[in-house]
Amino acid sequence: MRSVIGEIVGGTNEVTVLDMEASIEHLSRGTIRHVDVLLVVLEPYYRSMETAGRTVPLARDLGIGRIFGIANKLRTPQDEEAVRSYCANHDLELIAAIPFDESVVEADRTARAVIDYDANSAIVGELSKVADFLMPGKAKQGGM
Amino acid sequence: MKIAISGKGGSGKTTISATLTRILARRGIPVLAIDGDPNPNLSLALGLSDSANTAAMPRSVVERREDESGKTSMVLTDSIENIIERYGLKAADGVTVLTGCRVEHSGAG
Ligand SMILES: Nc1ncnc2c1ncn2[C@@H]1O[C@H](COP(=O)(O)OP(=O)(O)O)[C@@H](O)[C@H]1O
Ligand SMILES: [Mg+2]
Repeated sequence: MRSVIGEIVGGTNEVTVLDMEASIEHLSRGTIRHVDVLLVVLEPYYRSMETAGRTVPLARDLGIGRIFGIANKLRTPQDEEAVRSYCANHDLELIAAIPFDESVVEADRTARAVIDYDANSAIVGELSKVADFLMPGKAKQGGM
Repeated sequence: MKIAISGKGGSGKTTISATLTRILARRGIPVLAIDGDPNPNLSLALGLSDSANTAAMPRSVVERREDESGKTSMVLTDSIENIIERYGLKAADGVTVLTGCRVEHSGAG
């Protein structure tokens, strides 16, 4: 089935977002060949950051051009600092720092998309910046 | 642009994939979101509740072919456009979501 995903990722869609099983070890070379941007999610605890840290050199070896970190579920300034310093030490550019966000929990509870639950939530704000960064030509003027 | 999201299980990949997808879609970009997890939940995170479990692509979208030298490979049995048309679900903001097949055992594809 991985080969199907690879073919489809390689299709002509303007933007394709691939939600992965976990790490890029689970992707076939056929899929990786088409990936332009890899976003690596890091939670502020050791095993999560280690998983991310292992992914980065692997992704570079596989030829993925643009690799960025996104910190998620940050509860304290110390959390953010931990992810920032991990990324700095592992040559990973951090492009977003998403707090632990009750909107996500609440949206989950009611089986809604978080953007439908609260378009002004912190996670939407932070990922809007990611969208600006990845597709600057499409940056939204004003708020989300 | 092809964007892949990785990270440890539970780190927020699906939440981030879905939210980024919807943000880009609201900017007028046609986005195809693909659930590559064998336990799919991306369509749910995109806001599609009912159809979340019904739309996985069947295994018949690929078949094993053998060339003259006996080498086998997996090939699509239909065009990518047709597969998206047939199995893609429409979510809010014009997003299309495609759910990969649940994998019964690794190495299957
Ligand atoms: N920023 C956040 N704040 C609060 N909860 C979050 C946040 N991001 C994700 N979650 C929660 O964490 C859990 C795992 O998220 P999910 O996106 O399914 O991770 P993955 O796809 O990496 O396994 C879910 O219950 C989700 O609601
Ligand atoms: Mg997931």
